[in-house]
Amino acid sequence: MSPLTRTSTCLAAALATLTFAACGAPSTGGATAAKQADLNTPTKKTGTLTVVTKFADPKYAPYFVSVAKAYEAANPGVKVDLQQVGDQPYKDKIRVLSASKQLPDVYFSWAGDFANKFVRAGLAADLTSVIGPDTDWGKTFSPAALKAFSTGGKSYGVPIDLDAKYLAYNKEAFAKAGITAPPDSLQSLLDSCGKLKNAGYTPIAFGNQFGWPAIHYLTQLNAYSVPPETLAKDYNPSTGAFTDPGYVQALTDFQSIVKTCSNPSANGLAHEAAQANFLSGKAAMHYLESVEFSVLTQKGGASKQLADHWGFFRLPAPSGAKGDTGALTGAPDGFMVNRQSKQAALAVDFLKFMTDKGNAQKMTADLGWLSAVKGSATAQNSFPQLSGALADIDKASQFAIWLDTVTNADVAGAYLSGVEGIIDGSQTPQDVMASVQNAAKKAKKQAG
Amino acid sequence: MNRTLNRWRTWVWVLPAVILLVVFVYYPIVENIRLSFFSWSAFSARPTFVGLDNYRTAAADPVFWRSLLNNTLFAVTSLVFQVGFSLVLAAVLEEFVHQRLRGLLRTIYFIPAAISITVSGILFSFIYNPQIGLLNSALSAVGLDSWTHAWLGEQGTAMWSIIGMSQWQSFGYTAVLFVVAIQRVPREFYEAAKVDGAGPVRSFFTVTVPLVREMTTLIIILTISGAFLVFNEVMVMTAGGPSNTSQVLGTWLYRNAFMNDDMGYAAAIATVIFVITFAIAAVQLAVSRRRRIQW
Repeated sequence: MSPLTRTSTCLAAALATLTFAACGAPSTGGATAAKQADLNTPTKKTGTLTVVTKFADPKYAPYFVSVAKAYEAANPGVKVDLQQVGDQPYKDKIRVLSASKQLPDVYFSWAGDFANKFVRAGLAADLTSVIGPDTDWGKTFSPAALKAFSTGGKSYGVPIDLDAKYLAYNKEAFAKAGITAPPDSLQSLLDSCGKLKNAGYTPIAFGNQFGWPAIHYLTQLNAYSVPPETLAKDYNPSTGAFTDPGYVQALTDFQSIVKTCSNPSANGLAHEAAQANFLSGKAAMHYLESVEFSVLTQKGGASKQLADHWGFFRLPAPSGAKGDTGALTGAPDGFMVNRQSKQAALAVDFLKFMTDKGNAQKMTADLGWLSAVKGSATAQNSFPQLSGALADIDKASQFAIWLDTVTNADVAGAYLSGVEGIIDGSQTPQDVMASVQNAAKKAKKQAG
Repeated sequence: MNRTLNRWRTWVWVLPAVILLVVFVYYPIVENIRLSFFSWSAFSARPTFVGLDNYRTAAADPVFWRSLLNNTLFAVTSLVFQVGFSLVLAAVLEEFVHQRLRGLLRTIYFIPAAISITVSGILFSFIYNPQIGLLNSALSAVGLDSWTHAWLGEQGTAMWSIIGMSQWQSFGYTAVLFVVAIQRVPREFYEAAKVDGAGPVRSFFTVTVPLVREMTTLIIILTISGAFLVFNEVMVMTAGGPSNTSQVLGTWLYRNAFMNDDMGYAAAIATVIFVITFAIAAVQLAVSRRRRIQW
């Protein structure tokens, strides 16, 4: 091998990473704010509509393909170019597309700061005139879901599903441990964990290998312990400080849950592996999303014994909590429309089609997800716990949006790293908040 | 005239490769270094020039240093196993193992290298599972319960567990490369050493080691570069956790670029990776060229 070839080989290997970093480089001009697109339903529907989702999972993808095909069949002049990627790759892809000014007409977004980034960068169309709470289309959605995609009084997203976090419990385990009703306070939950341990159960199956399951606990506990106005101020990157003592209280409560209720080695266990312990009847409770409820049904693979004997309740609030005890961890997922799209009107029309009652009911039937469209869950397309979750979501005062998507990414990173430290005992709540406060300072500086 | 024509012909043959290298290798290097002096994200309207700020951030970032340390641990361990032990294994295979068994063993050692890193990562996640994992079960079975761990979930064991998996995967691959190199060494040298009274160990150090130096150099470069470019293993098994203790430069770069939207800082980390791997490759090539043995 010649020296030149060898050098080149080494260079190529070393630079695989560099190419990766450079692929999303901005052009010299940077983003320019485009004027608001016309959103009125087009008189003649023609052209190609580009749509990118994060639903490449074989369980979910066929539903979105079927909706795209049905729209094409209803509108022969339109072709829907549907691209579906996985959850994690989507985060990379959408950033690269944004930076290279190739954002699709319709793109997926989580609620919270993830969506707000597109709004701040002028990449999300203002949909208030078509999906605002007072519009015909807007009235078909759950108000809490619409609100999750609103910022500054304007609507920027079309909520597609509803997701909320609950503690599922095995009724037989509770009965064996002598627990007659689901705990209604944090102290009562901790007491129940003791009883369940004595009865030979792991009280809560908890797998936190990738950090986010612990973040979901913290989302709920922050909402309970910190006043909503303080929370809103701190979750905003330009005003965040995280100095309220409620944050330390939330981490202390989380620490108590881990110590008293969780299985050991949660950081080394995947969420799905922990879920298997609940499914097998070894664990009495499991904190999971309503979109995962179908896993606990016989159709989803659970045993008849469990499928017939599980219920759910919200993670209970500590007594004397200073925050909003009616808030519920969760958020809708949704779609946004590219502000610079030449097909914005067609994009809105497609999203109206996707969220009509028929397609919303089909989504609940096919995927076991709750739709953000009112009245989409029926006895025919859902099961009792799913309908129960929908009823409970309606009672929630507001969504406590996932901590790792509602806050700035640096703050989320500090929380992710910190909760893992709380679980393995290497960090105290005060240590974690010190890191979070530093990250918030950095975020504030970046936000200007 | 002929010489001009020949030179022109040479360029025609070389040009496609040069163009590809310039577009996909050298341009991204230069662009990456330029971007490391800016603060920008996929969502920022315009990159802001910040000079050396991103490098200062790296110098003050404990996770960056932890990542660098992890990459270094990866490199040192890989050198021991994938160069040192592999070479010994290759020599043993060639010297002491019967021809028929040799082929079988080579295949067995090579199979892990043919498995995708993602698949291996998931496989080892099961092996390291603290509740049902093979490793803890095996330790418990022989009475070593006190040695059991949540291998990927504890700060002290997460990185070493990933490094261990990587050695399992690459050990056989480098051993096979060494086997090829050893087979190219003329048998006369070994026979001459034997006549001079050298035993197998002496033959290994005085014949095998010097005569496979070029392959050793190549494998050292590939191993060290690989250790500093490691990404998939960590992403699949821990994503850098717990508490960032298994972050490596590649995953920390990725986290900053695609999660934290800090592309400028990510570009600075990428530049550091480039400088390290380039420097190691340059030193290795210079040293090996001086000590090349011809026969």
